[in-house]
Formats: sequence, structure tokens, C-alpha cells
Amino acid sequence: MMISPRLSQTLSCLLCCSVTLTTVGVVNAHHHDKAGRQQTIAAKNVDLTPYVENYAEVVFRNYQDARTQAAMMQVAITAFLNNPNETSHKAAQDAWVQARQSYLQTEAFRFYEGPIDFVDAKTGEEGPEGRINAWPMNEAFIDYVKEKPDSGLINNPKFELSIAAIMENDQVTDEADVTTGWHAIEFLLWGQDFNNEGPGQRSFTDFVPNQNNNDRRRQYLTLVTQQLVSDLTFLETEWKPNAENYRAKFLKGDPKATVGKIFTALATLSAFEMASERMTVALDSGNQEDEHSCFSDTTYQDFVFNAKGISNVYFGDYAGYQGKGFDELLAQMNPDLNQKITAALTTTEESASQIDQPFDQVLASAQGSPQRAEVEAVVTALENQGEAFKELGPVLGTSVEILAE
Amino acid sequence: MKFKRLFLFVWAVFTALMILMVQGGVTSQEAFSSDNRTELSGGTAATVSKATKTAFAQPIKNLDRKRRRVFVFGDHLFNTQWVQAPSSVATLDGLGPLFNRNSCAGCHVRDGRGRPPLPHENRMLSKLIRLSIPGQTEEGGPLPHPLYGGQLQEQGILGVPSEGRTQITWEEEPGTFADGKPFSVRQPSYQFTDLAYGPLGDEVLFSPRVAPAVFGLGLLETVPKAEILKQTDPEDQDGDGISGRPNYVWDFAKQEKQLGILGWKANQPNLKQQIAGAFNGDIGLTTSLFPKPSCNAGQADCLKELKFGEQPEVSDEFLDKITTYMRLLAVPARRNIEGVSEQRGEKLFYQAQCASCHTPKLVTGQTSEHPEFNNQVIHPYTDLLLHDMGPGLADNRPDFEAEGQEWRTPPLWGIGLVKNVNKHTFFLHDGRARDLMEAVLWHGGEAQASKEAVLQLSETERTDLMAFLQSL
Repeated sequence: MMISPRLSQTLSCLLCCSVTLTTVGVVNAHHHDKAGRQQTIAAKNVDLTPYVENYAEVVFRNYQDARTQAAMMQVAITAFLNNPNETSHKAAQDAWVQARQSYLQTEAFRFYEGPIDFVDAKTGEEGPEGRINAWPMNEAFIDYVKEKPDSGLINNPKFELSIAAIMENDQVTDEADVTTGWHAIEFLLWGQDFNNEGPGQRSFTDFVPNQNNNDRRRQYLTLVTQQLVSDLTFLETEWKPNAENYRAKFLKGDPKATVGKIFTALATLSAFEMASERMTVALDSGNQEDEHSCFSDTTYQDFVFNAKGISNVYFGDYAGYQGKGFDELLAQMNPDLNQKITAALTTTEESASQIDQPFDQVLASAQGSPQRAEVEAVVTALENQGEAFKELGPVLGTSVEILAE
Repeated sequence: MKFKRLFLFVWAVFTALMILMVQGGVTSQEAFSSDNRTELSGGTAATVSKATKTAFAQPIKNLDRKRRRVFVFGDHLFNTQWVQAPSSVATLDGLGPLFNRNSCAGCHVRDGRGRPPLPHENRMLSKLIRLSIPGQTEEGGPLPHPLYGGQLQEQGILGVPSEGRTQITWEEEPGTFADGKPFSVRQPSYQFTDLAYGPLGDEVLFSPRVAPAVFGLGLLETVPKAEILKQTDPEDQDGDGISGRPNYVWDFAKQEKQLGILGWKANQPNLKQQIAGAFNGDIGLTTSLFPKPSCNAGQADCLKELKFGEQPEVSDEFLDKITTYMRLLAVPARRNIEGVSEQRGEKLFYQAQCASCHTPKLVTGQTSEHPEFNNQVIHPYTDLLLHDMGPGLADNRPDFEAEGQEWRTPPLWGIGLVKNVNKHTFFLHDGRARDLMEAVLWHGGEAQASKEAVLQLSETERTDLMAFLQSL
């Protein structure tokens, strides 16, 4: 893709600084010393390469799935636009919900300037994350909202619709002026949510051709859906095995530093992005629609599949694929920490599945309500999990941080 | 006789200089020191190595859970698009009735810097016009315009006419460097149209301001007054042409005058008041510090809207959280400190006496509730004092003790990252400079000699100086 050559330059810079590790092929199981204390295997004696290789395979399979699912959504959206009615509208919405599940798991691969969110310091060029999943968004920048029938790019006939023009206007004068990605598509499919019991109630009639600005809306939805599929294709391509791409360079990097990045991503997604950005903010604001997927009311699945994405990385699995997980490595190096992390992952997944649906009902509930307590429990679980990942740093001879993006 | 007087004069000057040097007082002639060549612009814990578009949006390192929760919520408030009251979300309504933007982030995009409108933009997006008439309030501040108040609010909620619009026209002013290379700077002139509440009148004083970047302010707040005041030289006793005056401004919480440290004219004593002031003037939100809404006598439609919503519109809890958020915003690390061009440029910066006002180093005190900010050696490149910048930059609008030609030295840390964060390179208080060199070329008054020195630089030297500034 057009971004790869610059990405390669950034990477080769990183590689110059990396130090080659002396690795010992065979790892012995942990043993106990005379005093019965558990001995852990020192990081310097461990070959991290197979784990890093397996990680790359998990990333690739996940992005491949995300691209496939998004392409299926695109098919459903095209079918809807070809014949707009209640059934085809519902099918497009269902396809969005389905496609989100695989993408949400890929969020475990953010926060270390991989293909999803790299930045070229010289050109300022950035990975597609902001285009794919930016939120919260100012709906009125895209389309009409309550009491503003003429707002948005769609209802501004002077604005010539093209993907380049849409991207040019993305988050320029305001971070919330999001014009592309999952949530833009979500808003177009569902509309604003003023429904206390369920999602937004936009009618399929908004997409019937030759009426009002419907043709512009149809074109807008087509363009941003196309862009999403194209961005996901780029990510899949960068992680394909045996190609000249990001994955190839990723695998040549210093494994220790790489593992540091992998876990910084998990710690950050846990304690910052999920616990803080998406949960405590919503709890503290008192705003029912202050949630990640507010139009479709599917924030619950955001939590569940983000959590799943974190577990995937730790255990080295994706869907039916099972590979060499970090749990196997830690079982040898520091079984206590392995147990701690495994328990934290279980607590998170279990507590996340307990959250009331839809999530905005929790936000509408009173302070001190049991529904809120359930979400506070997930927050605590995620913070514990983030801190447990940080403990991996010294064990693996690397640095693991909780970033705040 | 004549000789004797000259001798006495020289002796007096010499003695004065000696005394200054012996006392270790900072003379404003800052000499180059490689100690200042550090990546740790914000000290050890409040410097972050991020050069991307979120470079100004990072918190200090190792936030504990409790502060992370407040930080993230404060960030949310910073981004919140406030809506008209009454709304379904009572905690986040109260916009207007008159306002400039409906969110903090609307002007301070990604905690960064605003700019003048581009040719295709039909309104001011991250820049505003302060208004007053001659005279002072009881507190000593500028006297608000009787019809329009303290700033021109270019937007109103439904049913409340906006106050007016600002039209900017630019005039190119050509010049040449000593080596014959031509340059051009642009001078703005302003016209106010669509004035809904009557004429501005002949007495009106106005001052255009772009939104400044908002990181590192927790550190600047922790610099002790004595550290700032020791750099003042109001009568220019060291004769270097550079004065440095403190502004003393009204502290609404303490109900007394305090040293002003923040804002383009150092007209705010602390961050909390700065934020409450911006909520009030820019978004039209009341706080316990500024409970009076953004309406003026004669604005009947505006006054009619006041019955809606809870007061204050921003609760103390929310005001404290957003203040904590902004305090915790860290400073981006300096980059390329080993670069040959950057190092040459750094020396030129000192040789041209830029460092006399853009003081490279300050040391914080220990008054912050956040231990990370206490006793830190920081490199903001400001003395936080007022300087006469000459007639070219003057707004001719006094603000407490700041006169019409005086501006507070703005910090330079992070200045090279504005292009990454905000996708533009407009500088100075009104964004007239289109790049850093134009900003330098506008320096007059006390900085006239520095500008002259820059005019004498060769092309390579100019590139080096810019490379240094870009590294900050």
C-alpha cells in the first residue's frame, strides 16, 4: 500500500538501535531451590522468538477476519442501498454488529505504532486508526440531527462528496468532527439514539433514492464503507506472512523490545482505553449516551470482544487457531505471575459479561445501583489486569507501560 | 569636569554590574549553557517522548488509578460539546446564550494551538477578539465594552443573535535579510460586521488572540513567584534594553491582586481561574468563580434564556476535574538535541539575546498537590514576564498592568510540534506569522536588537536557528 515504504523507513530506524539477543534454545522447567522457593528462569536464557512469531500469526488471522467481515457488511449495505426496505436495513445493521466483533479484538494490537497507528515523524503521515474507529463523534458534522435538519456534509450541496474530500474534513477543526469509520457508518445506519429502551430509530426511508438529500446520504455511506474495507485490507496486507511488509520487519526486531510493545498494548487497552476512556468516563458523566457505540446500543459487545482480544494475545489463539501462547512461556519463567494474569483475564471476561444490556441503561441508573457496581467491578478488574501486565516488564527484561493516549 | 562625570558614570555602571554578578542575580543576558541542552523539557516525570498529533495530550508518567480516572474525565470535559439548556443531560448543558465555541477542544484542538481562519473558512474557529473601553474595573482589569462585554461572541444559541463577525484582511510587508534574501510578513487589519447590539463606538479597544496550547501549565503554576520576580528589571537597570515587568492581576478566589502568570498578557494568576474565565467568556458557562452569564445589559434575548438550567452550569466538581486534567498535561520532550544544525542554532539563539526573555530554564517550587511537579528543573523558554514588543505587535489595549505594547513572553517548549498536532504553523498572539521565522521578524521594542541580529544571519545560520526552535 502507499504507506508501506515510509513505514519501512521508520522501522529500519528502530532496527538499527536494536540489540541482538543471545538466546539459549532449550528452556528448562522451573525448579525449586533448597529452601523450597520457586526459581524463575532468567529472561536472558529465554528465546522469545517463537512467541513473537505466533503473535504475528494471531494478528494476521484477526485482521484477515476483520477485513472479511467488513467486506460482508459492505455486501449487505450495497444490497440495502439497491433495495431499501426494513428487512434489508436490518440485515445491514446486523452485518455491522457482526463485523465489529472481529475488529474489536484487533484493538489489542494498537498503542505501539504498528500499521494501525504508526506515525511518520517526518511527514506526519499516520496509520488508519483515527479513520477507522474515532469516537465520540459530532453527528451533526455528517448528517441531520434533532432540530438541525440541514446540518452536516450530507446536507450541504456545496460540499462535493468524494472519499478524499470526506477524509480531508476528518477531525480538522474539532477532534469530534469525525467523518469516517465504524461509528460514522453506525450513525448512518441507526441515527441518533433518543430511545431509552433501545438503539437509534433511523428509518430506511432516509436511503430511498431521489428524495431530499438521500442520494448524498447513500453516496456517503457507500464511500465510508469502502474506505473502511480498504483500511482493513491495508492492515491485513501489512501482517501477511512471507511478504515484504511490516510483519517481516517486526519479526526481525529485538524480541525483548517487541514483547515490551505487545504487552504495553495490552496494559494500555486494559487500564486506559477500556477502564478509563470507555467505562469510568461514562460512569462519571451522568450522560446516558456517553458510550462507545451509542447509536446501535452495542457497547456491551465492545467490552466483551476487547477483553477477548487481550486474552487472544496472551494465550496465543484466535478463533479456531491455537498457537504458542505467552502463558506457556510464563508458566516456565514465573508461574505465579502467569497465574495472576490468567486469573485477571478470567475475572475481566466474567465480570464484563455480567454488565447489564444495553449499557446506556447502566448509565441511566442511580449512583450506587447494582448495575453501576457491576461496571465498577470490571473497571477494577481491568486496572488489576493492566498492572499485572506491567509486572511482566522486569520478568521479561523489558518495559511494559500503561500509556494514556 | 566633563571627564570626571564620565568617569563617575562608568565607575557606577561597573560597580552595579559587579554587584549583580557577585549576588548571582540573573542578569537578563543569558549566556549559553549546554546544561540547558536536555530532552527533559518538563523535568523528570512531566516530560513525555511523543512527537505525534497527540504530543500535547499526554499526562505525566505513572499516573495512579485515582488520578487517571480524573484525568480521563477531565479530558472528556475538555472535548465535550456543550449544548443549550435545558437538555436531557443536565450536567453538560448551559451553552451560551452567547459564545465563541461550544467546547474547549474546539479552539485548543488536541490541547494545541489555534489559528486565524483560512480563506475558505467563513468564521473564527480558534481565535477571538477581546473588547474593552478605556478605564479600569474596580479590580483593575480592562473595562468591558458596555454593549458587548469583554469579548466579541460570534455565536448565539437559537433565538439569541450572535454579537457580530470579524473580517480580517492581510497586508504584506516586504523586507530583506542582510544577505539580500527577501521576505514578507503580513499585517492583519480587522473589520467588525453584523454587529447585532449597536455600534462598537470610537472608544473601543480590541485585542485579537488565538487559543494557546495548554500543556505544561501545572509546572508553570509551580514556579515560585520569587523565581519569576528575580528576572524583572522594570527600569532596565542593567542597560541591556530589556525590562521584564510583572503583571499584577485580580485573583477572584482570593479577592486580592496576585502575580499574573498565564495568558497572552499574563492576566491570569492561576490555571483554575483561567479555565473558569474561558468557560464563561468562550463557551458561555457559569462557574462558582464567574457566576455571571455571558449577557450584557441591552441583550434582551440573551437575558431571557438565563432562567434555564442549573447554576452554576459547570459544577465545582467538574471545574476541579478539568483543572486537574490540564495541570497533569505533560510537556513533550525536546528532540534532536545532538543535531549539528540544532546545536549551532541554539548558540545563535543565545548570541541574538533571545534567551534574555525566552529564559531557557526555570526551577519549580514545592507547592503542587502533584509531587511530580515539585522541585523540577524545567525548560519552558519563558520568563513569564511582560515585555514591550514594539508598535508592530501592539494591541494598544491595557490589561491590568500590561500596557498596549506589552506581551508576556510565551513559552517555546513544544513549539516545533505545533505542525504535527495542529497541522499548521501560525504563530504569535493573533496567529499572523505563517512560520517561526515570520514570528521572529515581528519582534520589536525590547526585542528589536535580537531581530536585527537575526536579519544579519546567513542563510545557513537562519536554517540552524529554525532547526533549534523546531527541536524544542
